[in-house]
Amino acid sequence: MKPSRNAVRESFSAALPIMLGYVAIGIPCGILSASVGMNAAQVFLLCALFYSGAGQFMIPNMWITATPIASIAASVALVNTRQMLYSASLSQFCQKAKKRLSFLFAATVTDESYGINMQKFEQAGADGGGWSVGRATLVNLFSQSSWTLASVVGVLIGNALSIPLAIASFAMTSIFICLLCMQKITPENVVAVLAAVVGVVACKLVGLSGPAILIGAVVGVLGAIIVMWIREKREARA
Amino acid sequence: MSWTDFFIILITCGVLMLACRVLPLLFLKGRELPDHVAKALGFIPPAAFAALVANDLFSAQTFTFSSSALLIPLLAAIPVFIVAWLSKSLAWSVVVGVAAFALLTLATPLFSTTL
Repeated sequence: MKPSRNAVRESFSAALPIMLGYVAIGIPCGILSASVGMNAAQVFLLCALFYSGAGQFMIPNMWITATPIASIAASVALVNTRQMLYSASLSQFCQKAKKRLSFLFAATVTDESYGINMQKFEQAGADGGGWSVGRATLVNLFSQSSWTLASVVGVLIGNALSIPLAIASFAMTSIFICLLCMQKITPENVVAVLAAVVGVVACKLVGLSGPAILIGAVVGVLGAIIVMWIREKREARA
Repeated sequence: MSWTDFFIILITCGVLMLACRVLPLLFLKGRELPDHVAKALGFIPPAAFAALVANDLFSAQTFTFSSSALLIPLLAAIPVFIVAWLSKSLAWSVVVGVAAFALLTLATPLFSTTL
């Protein structure tokens, strides 16, 4: 099924903030990759087949310190295990979608596009339609194109252009803050947020920086489940 | 980086990544989710975004107060939270966040570039 022009435009405007953020991060990522001796073709393949911002920063960083490939793969996998949570939570919207489309959609999810699409799916649920797996996949593909283009351009530019990495990566942090502020305020969600923050900080303090995001997120979800369980018990009793 | 090393990294990292992204969705798809599971899945977004934000704002050294540069992300996050809360706009949040971070970085000579 060919997406209508309107759907493409709608997906593009939903993806635009992500695309801009990816340009800001992709160029430094390309520069970093080039500095450890990767060429444009290699960076292109990583963007097309691996597609992970955090991962693509980690690989050059670990490669340069002569980390064994097995432990590069393990660390990258550990950081990206949160993708399993996204994948599980997106499955509810793919019940009616074709298997091939669902596969493409799932394979191109990132932190940022997950946030945007989740928002769109939930809004669509509230007023009865307007978002689909097809449109969500377009958001993913627009985002991935922007990431790929920016990273390859970054390699070509090499070190000629220097955007301080910390500033560029705060663009992504700002996106996450905004997505956090868009969440509904319920007792469960408040506990999920607080427990996740405590979980991440605790991990960092004991030196577990790699799995901090995953552990924090799981702690948050578990905290919220406990609160849900307590509230249900109380309601059943009342 | 040689093509052999590169392909080993690409294939191991790529396959693990694809499995994490695709398997849970395809496995759960087409099943009627129990109410409790659906509710629990709804807790993933707030928990995940809070974890991602906390991961970016805090480092293991934040609580040692050893350098004022460590406070830059925390301070820059304040206007972003306000703008995000009021506008719910990703674009404005990014503009305000990057501007605040850049200004604080310029204002803090102690700042050292670490990722």
